[in-house]
Amino acid sequence: MGRAKIKRGSTNIDMTAMCDVAFLLLSYFILIAEFKPAEAIEVNPPSSVASKAAPQTDAFLVSISPEGQVFVQLSEEMKGDVIEEISTARNLNFSAEDKSLFKQSLFIGTPLSQLPQFVRIKPENLHSVKLTGIPIDSTNNELEAWINAALNVYKGKKINWLIKGDNNSKYLVFRDVINSFKKNEVFKYQLVTNAEDIPAESELARKPQKTEGTE
Amino acid sequence: MAEMEAKGGGGHKKGPGVKKSKKLSTRVDLTPMVDLGFLLITFFIFTTTMSQPTAMNLAMPKDTDKPDELNKVKESGALTLMMGKGDVVYYYFGNDPTKLQTTGYKDVRKIILDKKKNTPVDDFFITIKPNRDATYKNAVDILDEMAINDIKRYAMIDPTEDEYKLIQLTEQAGGIK
Repeated sequence: MGRAKIKRGSTNIDMTAMCDVAFLLLSYFILIAEFKPAEAIEVNPPSSVASKAAPQTDAFLVSISPEGQVFVQLSEEMKGDVIEEISTARNLNFSAEDKSLFKQSLFIGTPLSQLPQFVRIKPENLHSVKLTGIPIDSTNNELEAWINAALNVYKGKKINWLIKGDNNSKYLVFRDVINSFKKNEVFKYQLVTNAEDIPAESELARKPQKTEGTE
Repeated sequence: MAEMEAKGGGGHKKGPGVKKSKKLSTRVDLTPMVDLGFLLITFFIFTTTMSQPTAMNLAMPKDTDKPDELNKVKESGALTLMMGKGDVVYYYFGNDPTKLQTTGYKDVRKIILDKKKNTPVDDFFITIKPNRDATYKNAVDILDEMAINDIKRYAMIDPTEDEYKLIQLTEQAGGIK
């Protein structure tokens, strides 16, 4: 049985380098990942085939909770000017402390009259407090006032009007929100949705893909 | 050490004057660690792209009181979709709401496409009327359907009182709550 022994090369590869790369990439991705912006309230938006990412800057986001309350989230850069504007427009005389606390608050969840108390609620307690939302009924439409204030602050510049409704919120509330926008002569909105695949074999899938998001 | 070596390694040949002490390899098999690393990378990549919310454009027309500024819709090309409670869609062709038919969100695409195929492009017009029991999801689903089926002309308005009553009657007859 004189079989010639073939010297085989070792199958062990030095994994150290690969391991280094893997963890380098891992730490890079973890560090670069942005945390989800703090949610005002639990809102699960419906899904749509829209593929354009929702803008985050210069955004005026109206959220509609499942119970039909309306909340507004302003972009950081907007907050300071908007609170000044609405304070003078409505003669509310917010104190300097109110205003600085407002800039730190995550969202607006109460009528204007209760705003000083609202901004003093600590973020961790927000879930236990029952919020009334911004009134949008025809007799006292404060959403309209907020939109107006934002428009006055951003004269001529473009604001991204975002509407984010919950799956189970009523269409009527959505219509009231749209009507508040319409009264301020704002007609173009973006509805925040979750991404969904375009169904195969549909007209949209067959259409030559244009760059979406052109207005 | 030397004694142990002598006992345990009896069969070993010892070199002249050299004591071979067996060194443990310092090499660790890194394969599972690399596996884990890449698994985490893939996880992070997937979750970051998935959580990105998208935005759907919606443009509403300005309300007008002048009837001559309103768009006229040809009866032959009109399709009206109404959304009621319990995720039911009601639809009718033309101008006669009494010819109401019922469908669901899964089948509405077929109805839209059938109508689209049989109508000249310029005549085709869809009127979306979510009634007061519809949810926001219903409205977005139908608007999404417009995008999926590449519908150019559509409008979203409130149903008339008559249409609402018809829907209510149909709902009662069908036992939809």
